[in-house]
Amino acid sequence: MPFKQLFRTAWRSIKVNKSRSLLTVLGVIIGVASVIILVSVGSGLKDYITNEMQDMGSNLVMVMPGDIKLDKMGAGGSAMSSSFAAMQASKLKLEYIDDLRQGIPEIKDIVGIVMGSAPARYQNEVISSQVLGTTENYTDLRQYGFVSGGFFGKADVNSGRKVAVIGYKIADELFGDIPPVGEKIKLGEYRYTVIGVIEEKGGQGTMSPDDKVYVPITVAQRQFGQSNIGIIFAEAKSADDVARVVSQSEEILKRRLDADEFTVLDQKEILSTVSGILNTLTIALGGIAAISLLVGGIGIMNMMLVSVTERTREIGLRKALGAKPEVIMAQFLTEAVMLSVGGGIFGILLGGGGAMLLSLFMPTTITAWSVAIAFIVSAAVGIIFGVTPAKRASELSPIEALRHE
Amino acid sequence: MTKNKKVVLAAKNVIKEYQMEGLTVQALRGVSLEIEEGEFVAIIGPSGSGKSTLMHIIGCLDIPTSGEILLDGHQVSKMQERSLAEIRNKKIGFVFQSFNLLARTSALENVALPLSYNGTTEDEAEELAKKALIKVGLGERLYHHPNQLSGGQQQRVAIARALVTNPTILLGDEPTGNLDSKSGKEVMEIFHDLHKQGKTIILVTHDDKVADQADRKIRLKDGLVAK
Ligand SMILES: Nc1ncnc2c1ncn2[C@@H]1O[C@H](COP(=O)(O)OP(=O)(O)OP(=O)(O)O)[C@@H](O)[C@H]1O
Ligand SMILES: [Mg+2]
Repeated sequence: MPFKQLFRTAWRSIKVNKSRSLLTVLGVIIGVASVIILVSVGSGLKDYITNEMQDMGSNLVMVMPGDIKLDKMGAGGSAMSSSFAAMQASKLKLEYIDDLRQGIPEIKDIVGIVMGSAPARYQNEVISSQVLGTTENYTDLRQYGFVSGGFFGKADVNSGRKVAVIGYKIADELFGDIPPVGEKIKLGEYRYTVIGVIEEKGGQGTMSPDDKVYVPITVAQRQFGQSNIGIIFAEAKSADDVARVVSQSEEILKRRLDADEFTVLDQKEILSTVSGILNTLTIALGGIAAISLLVGGIGIMNMMLVSVTERTREIGLRKALGAKPEVIMAQFLTEAVMLSVGGGIFGILLGGGGAMLLSLFMPTTITAWSVAIAFIVSAAVGIIFGVTPAKRASELSPIEALRHE
Repeated sequence: MTKNKKVVLAAKNVIKEYQMEGLTVQALRGVSLEIEEGEFVAIIGPSGSGKSTLMHIIGCLDIPTSGEILLDGHQVSKMQERSLAEIRNKKIGFVFQSFNLLARTSALENVALPLSYNGTTEDEAEELAKKALIKVGLGERLYHHPNQLSGGQQQRVAIARALVTNPTILLGDEPTGNLDSKSGKEVMEIFHDLHKQGKTIILVTHDDKVADQADRKIRLKDGLVAK
């Protein structure tokens, strides 16, 4: 039987059992779609974080509190949360920033950061904001334009003046049409004077200034009850200097802290660690989704088995009219593969659409390999789970099949 | 009957046994018969005498426990399923009591079905199926589905399907058994027409009137040909 005809016969019997075919195929659609969506979330997260890291400049060196052993982190995401905990218990002191700057000539810029969050209030408007306490030279590391006003200076940091630079979104939501500069906002219990509004940068997350409030690090320390600082970012003058900045920083800090009270990392190490963790995460997500694909495959097998039983008389008739066993086998197999491949295609469309929709809320990246794997697996599912029922159908004796009630 | 006709079907001492719960039921206990080309034979006999069993064996839908079937010179009783499928397709046209049409499938597609198993192109198959349907008087019902046809019309579709491959013999197991007398008559007229055109026909029937129209009657009793 030529393939075209086989295809048409299979299509006809799929159509004749419309609702049952659809329900069966739903399993594959959901399986494939969830593989694509979950993998897109995993790899989207990875791309996002990687991009952010790269945004920060390739010559970046980070000094973090606590002992973050990279080779131990690969195991899972707990490293992330434990580093947040470490920030709270940080032993890094503000004056180390000057020690490092003075001790290492290869450092171009260096800033310290204290992070916290607090509700931002202006008159009756309240929104939650991320507060970044930092030093005046933060703008050397990250170049921002200003809608109005500017960043705070060294004097503000040293004297601990309560001034705030706000992101575009904060300004928009709190002030609307009122010019914010000069106005007073409350962050938690502290009252700040707005001195600058940063231009819209887009995006979200740690690197976007849009939903952040920047205040002098000394004030942030007071407000969040921290005598120390959360993290130090340094930028080396060139890529060749990175290694030296790392080793010198370690050298200098070792004189002040125990070895397990700080970790110095360069961007490459951070990137490889983070992408290692996120690869594991992506594979785990994909694996979970693959299970649902398997369940979908079992659904197809079940349907084909039911179909063989239900259509025993039809099989008997086809045989009586001269269908050879292999033709019956090919027919049922074609049907199963069409169902699973059709489900695969729909699943890819649904998964792709879902991932794009999700990208409105979180970073997603649709990867070619997940689409390819989902498609190949769904086709394989059709073949593997179609063979048993197809074989059973092909082996029926024509008269017994015809007599079947 | 004219002499020196070719024997198209010969059964030699055909025995068919069924095993049921350890018990052996002999449905056919040594049936021998010969059918000549162009003959119209009626097989009659009481219920349970083995008529259907014999028809299935002649029609290559079932294999005998022992004995031989020679169909158009082929020893079919020794054949494998693959070759039997080919014989069923090319040499046999089988009309069942319960029409056995594919549901939700047009008359035309039902009739073309056997052709899809022997490499006929789709265009040619459609042409042949159309001709066969016209022959049984359903030229106006090509695209009707079985549930849109009367019982008599459905059986005529089934006859068209049996004819479409131009088989050596046409077999019918009580083809009028599910029909009212009027439709039954119409169906019988078609068999008569086909007979006149030279087809070899074997029908199982309970209806004496139908049997009387045949060239010859073969009576089965307890799995044997009665004299
Ligand atoms: N699959 C089977 N398993 C066991 N016994 C069977 C089977 N098919 C037929 N028989 C038995 O073989 C005998 C002949 O059956 P068959 O169907 O050939 O009779 P029949 O002459 O066609 O009867 P009817 O006129 O009622 O159709 C019966 O006794 C029946 O019970
Ligand atoms: Mg019978």
